[in-house]
Amino acid sequence: MKENSRLQAVQAVRQELSAIGIDPFGVQIDRILSPTEGLIDGRPTILAGTNNYLGLTFDPDCIAAAHEALETAGTGTTGSRMANGSYAGHRELELDLARFFGKRDAIVFSTGYQANLGMISALVGPDDTVMIDADSHASIYDGCRLSGANTIRFRHNDPADLAKRMRRLGADAAQALIVVEGVYSMLGDRAPLREFVEVKNAFGATLMVDEAHSMGVLGEKGRGLSEEAGMLAQVDYVVGTFSKSLGNTGGFCVGDAAELDVLRYASRPYVFTASLPPATIAATRQALRTLAAADALRQRLRDNAARLHAGLAALGFRLGAPPNAVVAVLLGDKLQALRFWDHLMKHGVYVNLMMPPATPGGESLLRCSVSAAHTPAQIDAICAAFASWSGPRA
Amino acid sequence: MNHQDVVAQLVDILTPLAEGRVTAIGEDTELTGELALDSLKVMDLVLAVEDRFDISIPINALADVRTVGDLASTIQKGLGDGV
Repeated sequence: MKENSRLQAVQAVRQELSAIGIDPFGVQIDRILSPTEGLIDGRPTILAGTNNYLGLTFDPDCIAAAHEALETAGTGTTGSRMANGSYAGHRELELDLARFFGKRDAIVFSTGYQANLGMISALVGPDDTVMIDADSHASIYDGCRLSGANTIRFRHNDPADLAKRMRRLGADAAQALIVVEGVYSMLGDRAPLREFVEVKNAFGATLMVDEAHSMGVLGEKGRGLSEEAGMLAQVDYVVGTFSKSLGNTGGFCVGDAAELDVLRYASRPYVFTASLPPATIAATRQALRTLAAADALRQRLRDNAARLHAGLAALGFRLGAPPNAVVAVLLGDKLQALRFWDHLMKHGVYVNLMMPPATPGGESLLRCSVSAAHTPAQIDAICAAFASWSGPRA
Repeated sequence: MNHQDVVAQLVDILTPLAEGRVTAIGEDTELTGELALDSLKVMDLVLAVEDRFDISIPINALADVRTVGDLASTIQKGLGDGV
């Protein structure tokens, strides 16, 4: 086997981190104490680096539903839905999701990553064009690659730039698939969805919105940015995940198009993988019911996000976006971000260290994710840990 | 537009990005090797090139692009110059 340059590049980064003595990508939570607290290196630590936006991972109703499914349906399905059969819960969850979003039908995938892979690679092929935001998640890039479609990037959150590129397609623009995200996970910024819908309508194209970080968070009933912007009926496909506000694992797509009836059978990431286990399906169905009625949780999440955002802004930090469940502190320099991250860990606060090329603009950042389950005291403790950093703040 | 004209325009775009690492950028200069552009900088370069030439270059068309000359050929295809 010839030398693998990709592994060598990763190895070089690992060695660089090892020489400094900080390993931000191998954190182990030895014991999880609550949705917002864990034991790391023997230290009780506030978890501000999860995506547990509504704090449902310990919800008693979800745990009870999982228990019952585990007892009555066993630990796993041991196979693919197409080859080995679906359990009733798989389809019931799909119908629940379709009802929740007010769409005709849904498909459940085994992860959110696979939902993007499965949808994009089945909707478009080598003779088609996909237009994606330059800051798209890796699952969108990988879905495009798997599809073999011509993949064209437009500037991040820039509908005019998308329109320019759509015009260049000429008559083919009507066949194009446009993919955007509701909230971008690195900075927490929202897409200008109304303007993107205008572009899609002007060219007669198809629009998919990934609501991974906005479902449960935005919109009156938690249906994401599409609901908040009043654009849900105009969005052709909504893709999402169970691993964030629903507190589990899995992914889905909902839509009105007739293609959904057969799409799953043409979707390799759907066909060639094991289906979700019964306990996951049951807990997710319960979490979806809880999420739909979680107006009070969403208000607490908004209050917590506003509190953290205001606290960090008052300390002079540069933040990635207006208040949202993701609050990103922009730091620029990689080494400084690494030391800052380690400082926060030693002060009992876990956040995500993000570095290029995962981040936009080549900047390193500390990404905090806020939960409805955080107490105001925990938010203040996070701010206090940031305040205790004596290094540069921008 | 002929190949050398496209290369000349690319050299204009690339010179500030090279930050002095390469003094004479030409047809055979490697984008990621000699110019040391990382994958993100190459993607930003593509956005700039698309605007300069008013074309769209699919990401999948970049798989075989290694040198300035390769990129010029890809641009010519986008311009319909039949390379």
